[in-house]
Amino acid sequence: MTGPVFERVCGIAADVLNVHGTAITADASPETIEGWDSLQHLNLVLALEQEFGVQFEPEEIDEMNSIDRILRVLQDKIGHAA
Amino acid sequence: MAIAIRPFTREWIPAVVAFNDRLAAGGVPPEFRFPESDVPDWLPHVDGRRIYQQFYLAVEGSDVRGAYILKYQDFSFGGDLRRVVHYRLPISEGIVNKAYSRVGVHMLRSAMKAEPVLFCLGMGGLDRPLPQMLKAVGWHLLEIPFYFRVQHVSRFLREIVPLRRTAGQRFVADVAASTGAGWAGISALQRVRRTAVDGSVTTEIVSDFGSWADDIWTRTHSCYPLIGCRDRTTLNLLYLEEKPFIRLRISRGGEVIGWAVLLDTQMRANKYFGNLRLGSIVDCLAAPNDARAVMRAAADCLADRGVDLIICNQAHGAWTAALRTAGFLAGPSNFIFGTSKPLQAGLSPLEPALGRPYIMRGDGDGPVNL
Repeated sequence: MTGPVFERVCGIAADVLNVHGTAITADASPETIEGWDSLQHLNLVLALEQEFGVQFEPEEIDEMNSIDRILRVLQDKIGHAA
Repeated sequence: MAIAIRPFTREWIPAVVAFNDRLAAGGVPPEFRFPESDVPDWLPHVDGRRIYQQFYLAVEGSDVRGAYILKYQDFSFGGDLRRVVHYRLPISEGIVNKAYSRVGVHMLRSAMKAEPVLFCLGMGGLDRPLPQMLKAVGWHLLEIPFYFRVQHVSRFLREIVPLRRTAGQRFVADVAASTGAGWAGISALQRVRRTAVDGSVTTEIVSDFGSWADDIWTRTHSCYPLIGCRDRTTLNLLYLEEKPFIRLRISRGGEVIGWAVLLDTQMRANKYFGNLRLGSIVDCLAAPNDARAVMRAAADCLADRGVDLIICNQAHGAWTAALRTAGFLAGPSNFIFGTSKPLQAGLSPLEPALGRPYIMRGDGDGPVNL
């Protein structure tokens, strides 16, 4: 999975979760990234909202349980393909 | 499977028990066990009542993955009564299973969407996960100052100091550091700060709150920028007659000027207070210019009963001054008052003129054993 939105999401996730960019793959999730706890999930959601100028609904936040799922929710939100 | 927020209804009881069991198996302390009845023991919803609680669950299929409580109540914003909601005991399976890390965020966002005028209270300190989440979403966080008065220094030292490498030891160290007094000087410092007793003030223990409590509420609530409703009806629901609260009515020259709710509790291996006999000033109310008389009466009542230590949390300036005058010292506080942006927006224009919010232990988690 590639594309400008994917790259931006990965960059934000790496910053928020304080990991090297190579650790952020499409499959990355709280279960594979040590520091991805509730607080960092919130920080990631807030960072994505700021970066893309959107606000996620609680139900959308629930779907965002991996980088791949985050990208799908974001695609739906901003209305163009990654 | 998607998580959905649902009211806690009877059919979910087995799933809540299973949720609690999974948390316990993951090492979560028993005090975080979510209530296992759909009807709250404390402040259930009854038609016509302005203060009540409702339980909510984050469910995934037939499983519960998180839960929280909303406590609905009226607050006075400088005299203007509005409904405010307390976001209580949010707990998510994410603390024992990272697959559910998102549940805490989902619950908070859902609660904020349903009830924007929200607050949280307590939370164990600014460094804990919940206050950090609230700060991240733009909430205002205020430490409600903690005050204490040692009645029996030797017993206090004997009980607190052995709690080495524990919260109790940190309490001792933090208090010593924050007062600068050292233990040898505590008694002297407290004595120096106490002022003479006002001989015209009388106190009596009452079994419940009567119309006099409504009079006090009516004439005082506009003195405070933010204060939870403390009328007669609310007080009799908060401080139930069958619970071990000591309700003090305080008068001057025959006129009732205020009241206080106290607890006198023999601690047993408590992580903060060891085996001390602990006196708590849970709640009180009077006009700001009667704060000294009321606080002094409350503290003296507990002292006369023989407690080892008296504690109180308060933020409002008139009352913190009253605590200092009554011989209390300030200690480190882990009692945090978090307010959502809409709640803070209603408060800000009033706060500088009327002082800080009027928040005490009684505004918190209910009949806690302090």
